[in-house]
Amino acid sequence: MRLPKLAQFIIIVGVIYGLLKTPGIFLGKPIPESLIFMYMVLIVATVLLVMTSTDESTEELFRPIRALVEDPKKAFVRNIVFAVTPLIAGYIAYGLASRGGEPPAELRSIHPAPPSRMSAYGRPYDIATLENPLRRTEKEDAELFRSYVAEGAEIYFKNCFFCHGDKLDGRGHYAHGLSPRPLPFKGKDTIAQLSESYVFWRVVKGGPGLPAEGGPANSSMPAWEGKLTEEEVWKVILFLYDFTGNRPREWAREK
Amino acid sequence: MRTVFIFISILLFSATAFASGDVEQGKPVYEKYCRQCHGKDGAGDGPAAQYLNPPPRDFTLGIYKWKTTPFDELSPSDEDFIKMIKGWPAHNTVPGWDGLNGTSMPGWADVLGDNDTKDVIAYLKGLSGLEAPEKPPIDLKVKVAPSKESIARGKKIFGDVCSECHGDEGRGDGRKKLKDDLGARTWPRDLTKPWTFRAGSAPVDIYARLTVGIPGTQMPSFADPQSKKTLSDDERWDVANYVASLDAPYKKPGEGAVIKAVKVDGPLPDSPGAEWDKAAFESFYLVPQIIEGERLFTPTLASVSVKTLFNDDEIAFLIEWDDPTDSVPGDASAVDLSDGEVFKDGAAVEFPSSMGEKPYFGMGSASKPVDIWFWQNDGTVRAIKAKGASIVQDVSNGVSARGMYEKGTRQVVFKGPLKREWREEDAQRFVPVAFALWDGSNGEKGGRHTMTGWNSLVLGGGEGGSPYAWAAGAVVVVFILELLWLRGARRKDK
Ligand code: HEC
Ligand code: HEC
Ligand code: HEC
Repeated sequence: MRLPKLAQFIIIVGVIYGLLKTPGIFLGKPIPESLIFMYMVLIVATVLLVMTSTDESTEELFRPIRALVEDPKKAFVRNIVFAVTPLIAGYIAYGLASRGGEPPAELRSIHPAPPSRMSAYGRPYDIATLENPLRRTEKEDAELFRSYVAEGAEIYFKNCFFCHGDKLDGRGHYAHGLSPRPLPFKGKDTIAQLSESYVFWRVVKGGPGLPAEGGPANSSMPAWEGKLTEEEVWKVILFLYDFTGNRPREWAREK
Repeated sequence: MRTVFIFISILLFSATAFASGDVEQGKPVYEKYCRQCHGKDGAGDGPAAQYLNPPPRDFTLGIYKWKTTPFDELSPSDEDFIKMIKGWPAHNTVPGWDGLNGTSMPGWADVLGDNDTKDVIAYLKGLSGLEAPEKPPIDLKVKVAPSKESIARGKKIFGDVCSECHGDEGRGDGRKKLKDDLGARTWPRDLTKPWTFRAGSAPVDIYARLTVGIPGTQMPSFADPQSKKTLSDDERWDVANYVASLDAPYKKPGEGAVIKAVKVDGPLPDSPGAEWDKAAFESFYLVPQIIEGERLFTPTLASVSVKTLFNDDEIAFLIEWDDPTDSVPGDASAVDLSDGEVFKDGAAVEFPSSMGEKPYFGMGSASKPVDIWFWQNDGTVRAIKAKGASIVQDVSNGVSARGMYEKGTRQVVFKGPLKREWREEDAQRFVPVAFALWDGSNGEKGGRHTMTGWNSLVLGGGEGGSPYAWAAGAVVVVFILELLWLRGARRKDK
């Protein structure tokens, strides 16, 4: 049996609404209501357009609704629907009116393009060719490498975990007060996609060093240039990758 | 028969091995995840410890706070351990956090499986030679329902035994300076903010705390017959019901809240009072300043609530927050309660100097400055233009402020000129606004303060009519449309 057109319509719209809501419910990163509203208007319009493209399909879509009103056998169901619908409308109107307005959605690019050069610690860096000078110890001197990672851990747990979390999951004990939220290092979406030189730029220049599309006005990510030495920054970067089991992306391999 | 016996003993043996966990396997788990706070040898002295209050637990002592075994039983139950470590998902009160609220101890359920957890528990017990508890957990069946009468009885008891530490209204503004057994400063909980309770805020959780006490701190067990403050079982339920009723939901920050400024005719109030009832509070989490310059790592203030009124020329903010102390430098009782030298309490409101691209929330920059209104509890009021944290300049622009402190709550009213560009006749305009607070009894001064990021303020709410009117209108309109449709359909039938 084929699903009635009306049921199809409700399911499609419902599923899309659900998808738009999931990031908010499961990941704690809600899509702004105003954006969801815009998408939903577009989606309802498009689906209606497709479903009413021929006269028969229009007729099929609205038949159940018409039957509800016109068929005397359905009077009981109709009375219920007619009583409930105004209440739902009232509820929605109450919600909209008491919400007032939402701030404009601020879309920020999470990983904006880095500058090609930056100057820090009194000298210039070329980000495209910059490498972590301590990384080679990983192959050459395992013991030294472990000691760098251990020092990196200590730096992390004196400076970063408040925001980025003890589990490196972006959920430190002050994270809920910050917007945008601190980024996780665990998982494949952040440092696993980045070169160590990019991470170095982010740690040294912080939120204020972001280009305009990265939202520098709101980011609480400190610029660590004045608080950590260059070597300390490289050590903490070794730790971020080591703890999470991620590997830095290498420019060289891409070419 | 023999085989059955062997079988049963193997079963029993593996069951106990399973239940008690393996110390050897617990060690690597501890070293990877716990050492940075709780220390290499479990003495609570990891590299992170010096930045935390409450400090990470010292496991060599075997004293645990959030347990449910009786006050005269040192060992927590295994169930207690699992909850401490895996977190209290049912009490998930702050977005993204499932550990002990208001501390840095997260919930570990997402990285530690059941076996890892058992192994690490065995390892922790080994650090202090803790034995299995001899006494079973206390009875947590609800005995007294939270009726009006019970709450009224609880209020009386609260005044007699709790308020010396938790304050008359339970806002954590006690009259005693408290330290835990190891000398770390402890601040009694603000009981109007249940989302900051470590181990749950239902009456049953509070009852458990009162019956067991909070070991290692000055919060005693009220079931201990030796104590001068012993309460009967029923009395403990009454107080628990009363404490649960202290919840002030408006203080709990929501996500993405917008401050809706309400228009008034005539002059704006310059002190707290009934005129403010027109506007609703919005609340925001406070984060200590750990970004630049002198940092603050151990804040005492958790959230701030704000209301705004405006007229054609001026705008006024009512800023309210709970502060355990009224920090008056030089005042003897303030000095007694303070953690070190007493500085002034303070509050600041920040806006962009001009609309357009937002300035940096941390006091702006040379190209995009911010305006700051600043108040301190000795009556100091300043208007400042800042181009970054170190480039500040006093300006005179008719800002006034007045503050008061009562029973753990501070309220400050700021009043100043309304900028033309904040109001647009038809479109809603969102003005970025940020807040900073100082608790002078917690060593907060200069860059050491708590703060929020940019929030949104919108002027002109409250003009669109009551939400109830809109709801009633919608109900009527939809109903009429339905009737019209029905009539149309009937007519067609005929
Ligand atoms: C006050 C909170 C705070 C502290 C402390 C902090 N960060 Fe951040 N960090 C953030 C926030 C918020 C973001 C996300 C916004 C952004 O990208 O600027 C971020 C982003 C980052 C990024 C970018 C990740 C990516 O995928 O692009 C890196 C790398 C980083 N932080 C490393 C560190 C290191 C290392 C430390 C300690 C030395 C640290 N952070 C301390 C708040 C903080
Ligand atoms: C970021 C720092 C940090 C890390 C990492 C950490 N803890 Fe904690 N832990 C704390 C703090 C702080 C407390 C004290 C909470 C309090 O006083 O209420 C604590 C308390 C505890 C307690 C005692 C709870 C009680 O009822 O007394 C246990 C058990 C515990 N932690 C186990 C662990 C285990 C196991 C790990 C590793 C898997 C771990 N902790 C990792 C900070 C941390
Ligand atoms: C001697 C001082 C003192 C007295 C008396 C006292 N408390 Fe406390 N209370 C504290 C301290 C200190 C803490 C915080 C302990 C910590 O987190 O380490 C606390 C915490 C609490 C908590 C929070 C538990 C949680 O899960 O976070 C509750 C609830 C509470 N007290 C209720 C009461 C009630 C009810 C009474 C009276 C029957 C009372 N207290 C009497 C000092 C006291």
